Amino acid sequence: MMTASEQVEKLYVERGKRARELRKKGKKIIGYFCCFVPDEIITAFDMVPYRIQGSQSEPIDQADAYIEPMACPFARSSFNLALKGRYDFLDGFVAPHSCDTIERMYHIWLHNKPSSFNHLINVPHMLGSGSTSFYRSELAYFIKSLEDWSGRKLDPDRLKDAVRLYNRRRALLRELYELRKTDPPQVSGTEITRVLVAGMGIPAEEHIALLERYMKEIKVRPVPKADKLPRIFIWGNEIDDIAFINLVEESGAQVVMDDLCTGTRFFWDDVPETKDPLDGIAARYLNIHCPRSNVPQMETREKDLGNRYGYIGQFVKDWGADGAIFYIVRYCDTCELEGPDLREYLNSMNIPVLMVEDDYSTSTIGQLRTRVQAFLEMLG
Amino acid sequence: MLFAGIDIGSTMTKVVMVTEREEVITSLIGPTGAEHRHLALTVMDEALHKTSLSFDALDFIVATGYGRINVPFADKQITEITCHARGIRSIFPGARLIIDIGGQDSKGIKLDGAGKVANFTMNDKCAAGTGRFLEVIAETLGVELTEMGPISLSAAGYVKISNMCTVFAEHEVTSRLAEGAGVPEIVAGLHEAIAERVINMVRHLRIEKEVVFTGGGAKNIGLVKAVEGRVGFPVLVPPEPLITGALGAALLGKDFVDRGVTRDHERRLEGVTFFS
Repeated sequence: MMTASEQVEKLYVERGKRARELRKKGKKIIGYFCCFVPDEIITAFDMVPYRIQGSQSEPIDQADAYIEPMACPFARSSFNLALKGRYDFLDGFVAPHSCDTIERMYHIWLHNKPSSFNHLINVPHMLGSGSTSFYRSELAYFIKSLEDWSGRKLDPDRLKDAVRLYNRRRALLRELYELRKTDPPQVSGTEITRVLVAGMGIPAEEHIALLERYMKEIKVRPVPKADKLPRIFIWGNEIDDIAFINLVEESGAQVVMDDLCTGTRFFWDDVPETKDPLDGIAARYLNIHCPRSNVPQMETREKDLGNRYGYIGQFVKDWGADGAIFYIVRYCDTCELEGPDLREYLNSMNIPVLMVEDDYSTSTIGQLRTRVQAFLEMLG
Repeated sequence: MLFAGIDIGSTMTKVVMVTEREEVITSLIGPTGAEHRHLALTVMDEALHKTSLSFDALDFIVATGYGRINVPFADKQITEITCHARGIRSIFPGARLIIDIGGQDSKGIKLDGAGKVANFTMNDKCAAGTGRFLEVIAETLGVELTEMGPISLSAAGYVKISNMCTVFAEHEVTSRLAEGAGVPEIVAGLHEAIAERVINMVRHLRIEKEVVFTGGGAKNIGLVKAVEGRVGFPVLVPPEPLITGALGAALLGKDFVDRGVTRDHERRLEGVTFFS
């Protein structure tokens, strides 16, 4: 039998393979973008949620005939894979209005590569009770459209089960992140990236079983001596490839914590177990810390920054980060405009920040090496 | 004790050797070719011959610059940002902001009161507004690169150059020439454009005294004047701006030995035949 680490590596490399197998057995696979599409709803229909990723190691060779190259390279790369038939195994395609790019991407994708089921979820930008009830209606509409397509009614008890199932996975992932608090961390940032990406295209039960085995393996590894290397908190958007995190760690640092949509952002907070499960789901998913969302302004600058980034401040303190790297996929306006405020907040905590922008391509990552190394020398 | 710093930049390779009293005993500058490893050896060998020293006399060797990983005999590799900061600090202890314009990149480095790197910024991927940019345009104008500075000083005003992309700027320069603009005014315009770009890049680091201008770009008096015009006060230029990175590398080697830091690995000397 494969070790859990070997299985993680296999799932990380052979993306979509497990979903294709399940589809052959009659399961419906629903692909989606970003963190705003509740896995619980898809799972409660006995379908498999599949988080759509791009490929940082493949050139974007076909999508440019449909989208201008100044659009987000993550969205272009994902669409590029779809054009090449790599997402033909998806029975459904769901996009949330997380940002303008993803929303527009939905229409382009729909026009050129329609799935059997297609749906766009509207997500309000300004958080508050009115937005939560709006978003809840949008999720009810999403459920209705899945019911119409599948010919089956959603069983509310199945939805409650799904909430508990995903909360179990969230608890395990948080437990795994606890192992990053030591010096050196018991699990590296590169390994964490692999484990998270591995879980994005398989049913939650399978990811849970894998995580349980993986953690057992990690806990019996010999504990190395404290290395006193700089500890890095990483902020940004999609990091579904190990290349950048690996570059940081190879340059002599430990990546110990993150706020990424492929990291804590998608799993950190539990869904509260409410009487009507949709209430808890709507409240939890709308409040994801994506920089595309806004909270009402507080009266002073200091309070405002604290209100927006207090959770990051806590991450940095609890995981003992010495510095922060903002890794931004080029043309992500939301991240680039959010970066300066977050930098101000972190600098006020005496946490230096390196902000880098990249093309979502492993071939250009080497050009960031000098910047990363210089930043680590500055911390050291 | 002796310490050497070797800086393999995109265009030039530099070696500096210092004593434990931080005195420079030799410095050497040569062009960077395609073969870094061989080049690193050749330049180091030349420096050793010049000083009649043996390789083993060097207590610590630090490599820097974009070719730093291709120096098999280096005891440590440090980025040019940290090295420039250390080198400049030894020449101008009051430096707070370093502007470095090299062959293919430009940087801003902010120093804290103790002379340590507090923040930095670098140009992105493209060589626009660097030494290579001036070199290409110099060729178009039929002017020697070293003459660009003096020529611009005789300009009556300057021609606005709006393209920073080397290819587009070359085209723009040709058009201005065809319209009858004078070479000195065009060269002055190029310096203004580069200065504007680099100052905009370093602005978020806060421009405050003392500002030091280093790298190959600082050897161009016209560019120095253009940078000063935008900074608003005189900038300091090291006696030899090309070697501040290598100097810093050598001094960091001394700092390492002072702090008891050991070499990263055994010196790899395969292919080295000429050290005696």
